[in-house]
Amino acid sequence: MKKFIDNVKKYYSYAIYSAKSELKSEVAGSYLNWLWWILDPLAFMMIYTFIVTIVFRSNEQYFPVFVLIGLTTWNFFNSMITSSVKIVNNNRNIVSKIYLPKYILIISKSFVLLFKMSISFALIILMMIVMQIPFSWTIFQFLPILIVLYVITFGISSILLHFGIFVEDLANLMNIVLKLMFYLSGIFYSIGTRLPVPYNSYFLNFNPAALVIDSFRKILINGSNPDYLWLFIWLIIGLLLTMIGINIIHKHENSYAKVI
Amino acid sequence: MKKREIALTVKDLRITYKGLKKFSVKKALLSFRTSKAETFEALRGVSFELQKGKILGIIGKNGSGKSTMLRAIAGIFSPDKGTIDLHGNNVSLLSIGVGFQPKLTGHENIYLSGMLLGFSEAEIKAKYKEIVEFSELKDFIHKPVKTYSSGMYSKLAFSVTAILKTDIMLIDEVLSVGDAKFKEKSYNKMKELISDKHRTVVIVSHNIDTLDELCNEILWLDEGKIKMYGPSKKVLKAYKEFMAN
Repeated sequence: MKKFIDNVKKYYSYAIYSAKSELKSEVAGSYLNWLWWILDPLAFMMIYTFIVTIVFRSNEQYFPVFVLIGLTTWNFFNSMITSSVKIVNNNRNIVSKIYLPKYILIISKSFVLLFKMSISFALIILMMIVMQIPFSWTIFQFLPILIVLYVITFGISSILLHFGIFVEDLANLMNIVLKLMFYLSGIFYSIGTRLPVPYNSYFLNFNPAALVIDSFRKILINGSNPDYLWLFIWLIIGLLLTMIGINIIHKHENSYAKVI
Repeated sequence: MKKREIALTVKDLRITYKGLKKFSVKKALLSFRTSKAETFEALRGVSFELQKGKILGIIGKNGSGKSTMLRAIAGIFSPDKGTIDLHGNNVSLLSIGVGFQPKLTGHENIYLSGMLLGFSEAEIKAKYKEIVEFSELKDFIHKPVKTYSSGMYSKLAFSVTAILKTDIMLIDEVLSVGDAKFKEKSYNKMKELISDKHRTVVIVSHNIDTLDELCNEILWLDEGKIKMYGPSKKVLKAYKEFMAN
C-alpha cells in the first residue's frame, strides 16, 4: 500500500497532465468543440424523458433531473469499467517502452471522467433551478456519496485492468454484464417504488451503482438522507477491492509487456 | 569519490516468456483441450557488472536476447530469476516519442513525454528552450504533432529524450534521425551524451563500427547466454571472425 501511495505521488502530475491532454485532444478539431460535453448529457436526458414520460407514461416527479442524475452517475461507472478492460492494450506504445505503474492509467482516465461528470452535475443544478426543485441542506452530503462511487469504481477497474490483459474477450463479456446492470440500476425508473416490496431493497443495496444513484436523488430531489449504513458497507468493499487490485497489479505488472 | 563505483549489477538474469498465453472465454467454451503453455527462454543466466561512466555495447545476432535485456534493465520486464541492481541510479530506455499524442501541439507533447520519463514540470520548463532549439522546429512547436512530417516528428522526439537525461541510459540501436544535417547533429549529440563521465550507457546495436567507436566494453550474447565479455576491441574481433564463418 505504501508503494501505491508513493507511486501516486510520483506520477500524480503526469496523470493530471495526461488527463488534460486527453480532454484537449478530444475537442481539438471537432465542430462544436467543448459544447459536446454539455450537449451530450442534455441530449440523452431529452431522449429518455421522451421515451419514459410519453411512451411509457411514467409519472415520476421532476423526471428530467431524475434521469440526468442516473445517467451522470452511470456514465462515470460504465466508462471507467469499459475503458479499464482495454486500457493497457490501448496504451501499448507507452507500456512497452517505459515503466509506469499501470493504475496511473486508470487514475488519469478517472480525472477525465470526473471532469465530464462535474459538467453534468452543473447541468443538474441548472435544471433544478429551471424546474424549481427546492434546494435542501442535504445537498452538502454530496461529497461522501461521490467518494463511495469513486472508490468502488476504482476497485473494480483495477481488478479488471489485470484480467483484461490475459482474457482476450473480457470486453465482450463486460458489455453484456454492464448492459444488464444498466437496466437493473434504476436509471430511468425508481427501484424503490417500481419493484415489489421485499425485493426492491435487495436490488437497491446489493448493486453499488443503484445505491449511489438513489443516494444522489435522495439528497438532491427529495431532500432526505441517504442510507449511510449501506454506503459505508460499499465503501469498505470498495477499499478491499482496491487493495486486492493494487496488489495484483504490483505483482504482475512487469509481465504485462510480454503479453500485449 | 571512489574510483571504481559500480553503477549496474546484473546477477544470473533469466527471463522466460511462458504460460502467459492469452485466455479467452470463447476458447474455453469451445475447446476441451487445455492449451499447452509455450515456453521460450530469452535469457538464461546472464551476469555482469558495469562501472559508473563506462559504455557497454551489447552485440549478438537477432533473437539472442539483447532487447529483452535492455527492457529488463529499464524495469519494463521483471526477471523470472536473478536480480538487477541499479544502485539507486535512475534509468531510461531511450526510445523515440514515448506517449506522444498526435492531436496535441509539440509544446504539450514535450511536457507529456517528459513527465512520463519521470521529470517534474519545473525540470522540463528549465530545459524546454534547449529542447525546442535543438529540434529546429521553430514555430511548428505550437502546431499539432499530426501535422508534422515524419522527419520533424523524429527530430522532436529525439530532442526530448536527448536533452532530458538520466544517470543510466539504455539505447536500442544508435538513433540517428532526420535529414543528413540533423543526422550528423544527432549522432554528435549522442556521442556527447554518451561520453559524459558520470553517465553509464548501455547500447544495443548491430553496427560493429559504431560500437567500436563508442564503447569501452562489449557484451556478446548468444542464445541468451554470454559468449564473451571484455574490452571492446578484443570482443569485436572475435565477433567479426565468428560472423565471417
